[in-house]
Amino acid sequence: MSAAAVDLDAAADIASMDLFNPTEEHAMLRETVRSFSDSEIRPQALEYNRKEMFNRELFNKVGDLGLLGVTVDEEYGGSGMDAVAACIVHEEMSAADPAFTLSYLAHSMLFVNNLSQNGNHEQKLKYLPDACTGAKVCGMGMSEPGAGTDVLGMKTTATKSADGSTYTLNGNKMWITNGTLDGETTGDAYLIYARTGEKRSEVSMFLVDKNMPGFTLGQKIEDKLGMRASMTAEIVFDNVVVPAENLVGEEHGAALCMMRNLEIERIALAAMSLGIARRSVEVMNNYAAERQAFGESINSFGQMQRHIADSYAEYMAGRAYTYNVARHLDLASYGNGLDADGVKLFCAKMGKDVADRAIQVLGGNGYVGEYHVEQLWRDAKLLEIGGGTNEAHHKNMVRDLKRHHTTLK
Amino acid sequence: GTSPHPPSKMKVLVGVKRVIDYAVKVRIAADKKGVELANVKMSMNPFCEIAVEEAIRMKEGKTATEIVAVSVGPKNAQEQIRTALAMGADRGVHVTTDMRLDQELQPLAVAKLLKEIVEKEAPDVVLLGKQSIDGDCAQTGPMLAAMLGWPQATMASELTFADGGVTAERETDNGTEVIQVGTPLVVTADLRLNEPRYAKLPNIMKAKKKKIEAIDAASLGVDLSPRIEVVEMNDPPTRAAGIVVEDVTALVDKLKNEASVIA
Repeated sequence: MSAAAVDLDAAADIASMDLFNPTEEHAMLRETVRSFSDSEIRPQALEYNRKEMFNRELFNKVGDLGLLGVTVDEEYGGSGMDAVAACIVHEEMSAADPAFTLSYLAHSMLFVNNLSQNGNHEQKLKYLPDACTGAKVCGMGMSEPGAGTDVLGMKTTATKSADGSTYTLNGNKMWITNGTLDGETTGDAYLIYARTGEKRSEVSMFLVDKNMPGFTLGQKIEDKLGMRASMTAEIVFDNVVVPAENLVGEEHGAALCMMRNLEIERIALAAMSLGIARRSVEVMNNYAAERQAFGESINSFGQMQRHIADSYAEYMAGRAYTYNVARHLDLASYGNGLDADGVKLFCAKMGKDVADRAIQVLGGNGYVGEYHVEQLWRDAKLLEIGGGTNEAHHKNMVRDLKRHHTTLK
Repeated sequence: GTSPHPPSKMKVLVGVKRVIDYAVKVRIAADKKGVELANVKMSMNPFCEIAVEEAIRMKEGKTATEIVAVSVGPKNAQEQIRTALAMGADRGVHVTTDMRLDQELQPLAVAKLLKEIVEKEAPDVVLLGKQSIDGDCAQTGPMLAAMLGWPQATMASELTFADGGVTAERETDNGTEVIQVGTPLVVTADLRLNEPRYAKLPNIMKAKKKKIEAIDAASLGVDLSPRIEVVEMNDPPTRAAGIVVEDVTALVDKLKNEASVIA
């Protein structure tokens, strides 16, 4: 048999494709975000970490750049880009300040993207433009004090009125990023998951606004290990009456909203770990080249070489996995859960490990705030818990693997 | 000369050069004929960014109505034009050449090429960076002005357009000079002229639809051959450690006899 002719043009195209910046627009986006992150986000990281405060001014600047609605239709004030663009923004911002990026994620992915994918035209028109400019800072409430990984074990209820015109919400939500912006009141708007039926899966999603009677801040969560500049809170619903127009999607149909949004959420969180890893590799690589011991740069020593090389390779592996999954992700669909869980599972641990090695390479200096890596290490740990614990990913992935992937492609 | 367009509807031609990114640690190539360019991050020359920003401000201030971004360079120079479009320029002109931009293609040739583009586009203002961070020649702007027979405001740190002319503040070694110039003119931008904006995401998306016209440099009938040949390039000598001297006499002796900086 004769070999098929090689299509050299196709081969050249394959070589010239940049997995991390598939188009010029993606490259320009990365350039903008990196430049902004270096000059505006990085310098405030230590101070806001110390103060455990949300940097609203910086958030507004991010809004000016048009980044708050990365995945939203231009019609509603967004930029209409894809999952790869979302990864780029999260990776670049996270390299500068993961805590600030987490607040950005809760707003842009958990509220803005979710509503953009699942809301109707009126709901989108009412909330998205302000959310895209940064006039409103928003979040999402799914977890509760008694239900995290077991999300359908939630106890917050939404009881429909007799005439069907309103729902009354009762319960509390916990670990809500952007749950407060000032430590005293709630943020501006949330997508809240609440039980509307007896069956476990009968959960619905509602839009709840700040100052709706009965909707209050329970408490700001203090003394977190990391992500300290991102304000986390418990929020409370005490007979909060919401109009039926605030139901997003179908009644009892929130599982669909969940499935759609969890994929981009996990990929964006994985991208945050990538940013942490990238910065850690840069810091340890540069430090090890300059720091001298026994008359040589410490990067001549095998243990340091191992830390740096292992970190680089793991980072690149995570990056390739994440961006490959992102470019196949259709934001309006679901069904790619296996790899969304997979990238988060891999990258969360990887980011933590790489940050840990960076501290080790820097020695005493790594233990100090000025050198940045200690913050990256503390922030990195959250990614193994938030947006899906490692254990949740294990559970989901095996469920998918045994059902749908008995042989792999 | 007379300006092609009325004072509130000026057309601005902005030059953008593709250079090694300012943050990159530049290395000499193995053959010592120049710097290593392979796999090195390239960006828009920082002074060109300032020029683009100024052009956009002219449009926002209702002095200009059209901004055309022009770059001379290889296929990838399109990236710099696209960035100018994302910042707010209206359309682009890409003069294509594979000559090395940091050595082979020299300011004289670039000025000649830009003259052809000026004659084609008929702008009222040509805005360039004062110099590029690779060659540091600072020649293209003044040469272009001379070829066109236009006045020039180089090293501009402030520009005020009014009544069909411009008041320009220039940064010189002796201090700031203020000049009054008519249009059309060539301006070169200095560091303090403005702080360039980030390309916002909605504008990055809009830039996709803006047109870039490609013109082969060879087709413009210009002699592009270099007049200067780089024979050898070396790293600067490693800086020797400083020493502490005993007293002023010792200092003067060293300055005279070792450093040879006083007679």
